[in-house]
Amino acid sequence: MKFSSARSTTPVGGFLSFCLLACLALFGVGLGRLEAVPSMSRGFNGLLNSVVRIDVRQVNYEGGSKRFDGSIGSGVILSEDGLILTNAHVVSPKAVEVTVTLSSLENVGAKLVGWDHWTDLALLKLDMDEVKRRQLTFTHASFGDSSKLFAGNVVFAVGTPFGLTRTVTRGIISNTSQYFDAERNEDGYETGLFNTWLQTDAAINPGNSGGPLVTEDGKVVGITTRGYTGANNLGFAIPSNTAKAVVKSLLEHGSIVRSTVGIVPGALQDLEDFYSLALNTGMLVNSVYPKSPAAISGIKAGDILLQIDHKAIDGRFPEQIPAILNSIAQQPVGTQLTLTIKRGVKLQDINVVTELLESSVGEERAFDTWGLSVRKISRIYAREHGRNDQNGVIVIGVQPGFPADVAGIQPGNIITAINRAVITSLDVVAHAHDAFTQKPEATLLEVEKDRHVSFVILKP
Amino acid sequence: MKSTFFLKFFLLSIALRSFTFGTSLPDMWAERVKSVVAIDYLTETEDERRMSTAYGVAIDTEGTIILPSAAVDVRIDPKRLRRFKAYIPGEAVGSDATYLGQDPYTGWHYIKVSKVMATQLLPISKWIAPKGTKELELSDFVWGLGLRNKEEDFIPYLMQSHIAIIESLPQHTAIAQQEVAGPGLPVFNKDGYFVGLATSSFAQTYLQFSKADRTGSPLMLVDVEESSAFLLSTEVIPSLSRRPENVNGRPLAWFGAYGLEALDREAASFLGLSNQSSVVVSEVLEDSPAEKAGMKAHDIIVAVDSVMLPRFRPDHVAIDFVERKVLIHRPGDVINMTVLRGAKRIELSITLGDEPKLIREAERKYFERLGLTVREFVYADAVERRSSVKSHNGVIVSYIKSNSPVDGAGLSGEDWIKEIDGASVDSFADAVAKLSAAESDLHRKEFVLLVSRGTQTAVLRVKLH
Repeated sequence: MKFSSARSTTPVGGFLSFCLLACLALFGVGLGRLEAVPSMSRGFNGLLNSVVRIDVRQVNYEGGSKRFDGSIGSGVILSEDGLILTNAHVVSPKAVEVTVTLSSLENVGAKLVGWDHWTDLALLKLDMDEVKRRQLTFTHASFGDSSKLFAGNVVFAVGTPFGLTRTVTRGIISNTSQYFDAERNEDGYETGLFNTWLQTDAAINPGNSGGPLVTEDGKVVGITTRGYTGANNLGFAIPSNTAKAVVKSLLEHGSIVRSTVGIVPGALQDLEDFYSLALNTGMLVNSVYPKSPAAISGIKAGDILLQIDHKAIDGRFPEQIPAILNSIAQQPVGTQLTLTIKRGVKLQDINVVTELLESSVGEERAFDTWGLSVRKISRIYAREHGRNDQNGVIVIGVQPGFPADVAGIQPGNIITAINRAVITSLDVVAHAHDAFTQKPEATLLEVEKDRHVSFVILKP
Repeated sequence: MKSTFFLKFFLLSIALRSFTFGTSLPDMWAERVKSVVAIDYLTETEDERRMSTAYGVAIDTEGTIILPSAAVDVRIDPKRLRRFKAYIPGEAVGSDATYLGQDPYTGWHYIKVSKVMATQLLPISKWIAPKGTKELELSDFVWGLGLRNKEEDFIPYLMQSHIAIIESLPQHTAIAQQEVAGPGLPVFNKDGYFVGLATSSFAQTYLQFSKADRTGSPLMLVDVEESSAFLLSTEVIPSLSRRPENVNGRPLAWFGAYGLEALDREAASFLGLSNQSSVVVSEVLEDSPAEKAGMKAHDIIVAVDSVMLPRFRPDHVAIDFVERKVLIHRPGDVINMTVLRGAKRIELSITLGDEPKLIREAERKYFERLGLTVREFVYADAVERRSSVKSHNGVIVSYIKSNSPVDGAGLSGEDWIKEIDGASVDSFADAVAKLSAAESDLHRKEFVLLVSRGTQTAVLRVKLH
């Protein structure tokens, strides 16, 4: 790890602030004059040289075949050895080619080190052999402490909106911990469960994604991730303190291992009277996933979670929930947690063994001869959709005029069997597809559409 | 000129002579109008009343009328159907009528009109052809009745056409070249004999052009006033003696296979079933007669009572065929089905049950101040939610009044209320007691619901004002 925490720009920033204050005191100038400062801090200028443009070519399975499409995002170099932090929705494991444009405008290849869709972060590494061979240079940025931010704090977003190289926009922190219900990104991956967001009015546009949100001294306090389209200046960034932990784990393990117990939490606000609770005690269990550790241990929706391992928790407001989930997530998988639950008037300790947090998005593959692309039904998908088993694949794309389309298969259908063999893995499909490709013969699929089963034939 | 005139006159006189009941088509038409009525009724829900009209045929001298299955939405609780009125065609004022229910096998709805009106009607049986009369054939001349809408006092009018095709759908159905009768109204042959009952019309595809779209886009339209299709009298007459025993059409023979889908031609031929139709069972419902008989999901029904399913066109007609084979029975009867499972043919002997309580039969109660209607949780609710039918409790939200307390709390239609104020809801009566308490207590500030939606649950706080 070669983080540049040692290389501090604070003395310079401090000095600059001092000068500014002095100016204010001496001349009584308004805030408007602050903008007239002839240059930004050295730290800020250093930061500018660590922001990169990222061009990605990635696999897209959705058209019923394996295709490639391109997109642009931003990123920030974190270390001398070329680690770059960006968004998971910019670079995912589907990326086949990642090209980074340095501040010198030179292009270098990069590889994905790891990604975490839950926090929407991905870590890349520059092709350092190429960097050395071509004697390219760059600077790297360092993290600031996002917990020290306050509403009104001036921040800058740096990135390549619409591909416009190293564009700096300025704004303030509008909210230090904005909450969104957990949701799914465009590819269906879960996101936003474990962090709150920095909200800023610095202009953020498509292409800014993955770029840093920095303070005046050039410290990275957030990773710009999303904005409301059609709204004015409502941008959101992942706090640097969340990013720091993710980067550490991605570097060490290539992925983030999280624990879960299968509880969907709810805020307790305004329900304290009903549950006879003092304010700021406990978190509501809104839902329990069937077959999850919590369900197996007997935790029920409507229970109040008061303590985790005898440590009191406070989930009064939605903004407090990500931190509680994170505290469970950080336990090693298989840890036994003692959850103190209030049900009615009764208090009880329930032991729950955590399990690995997994996405409901299964592996994807395209079967080009059939013009069919599918996603495997995952354990979590089966659980969330009340399916008895994990057999089958979900159709995510069909190519017009190809056998799957001709047979009437549509995205959203679930294929459960092929030539009467139950689809227990993608290999079952691949096996039949290979046979068809070599020697095209009528192939029988069992297809579920809205719980109605049809038998259809893929014709040569 | 003169000779052609005579030829025409001659042909017309032959045609007139062959009529059995009257001297002319207008005369026959005027007589047969006495066999039909128009009906209207209200469907009352929490916040609206909707008027519907339908046409029916008198089947006896007591004033019993049959309406086609589409005349009443079968998902609606019969208790919500109100103010049935029957109208003699051409008369502005109707008289009260009573809804008797639906016969599950034919799908017909039965209505009873007043005694006074009954005396003005002639039952359709009056026009049944004597035995030995030639069956309807291609190109035969047919005519029927249409009724204008209520604003025009349901004035009767004449339609005529010729037979274009006769098919098994799965009932023998004739399709005429043009519209020949209003849905639910009778069709006659040239001699005035009853030859069939018009069904709902089939969809026809038209091209719709506009200034923006000059190439035209296809549009499917169904004529709801006139139909060119009719069930042959041979399908209708044997069923005229059927009567629903009660307004819910009980008992209702049931075997419990969910999601029947016809096997398409190519899949059938792949499985060696090319000379017949067959039907796939998507799921076998928990605790159902089919499950008890050993039926499995993805079984393919190839024969019923040892008779191979005939080959139908289009394929989906086979589903109706199997369903009708079940519905003609009574609960307790045994029906045999042959299914193809993998490469094996398996004989299943199914003792039919009475269909579990339907959603339309579920008890329901409206709470005006809270702003919701809840209904009893029935078997179909468990099926829809992939939940076990054995462990069901709670009630289903069937209506939400907008801007009401429950609306503000985020409750939605079809939510499944499992707990009220932290206590589990054990039955419909339990839910009604709990909600009534909340409804009537004007000092109460809130109550809390635990509801299930999809595979998730949520605690909702309902603020009362």
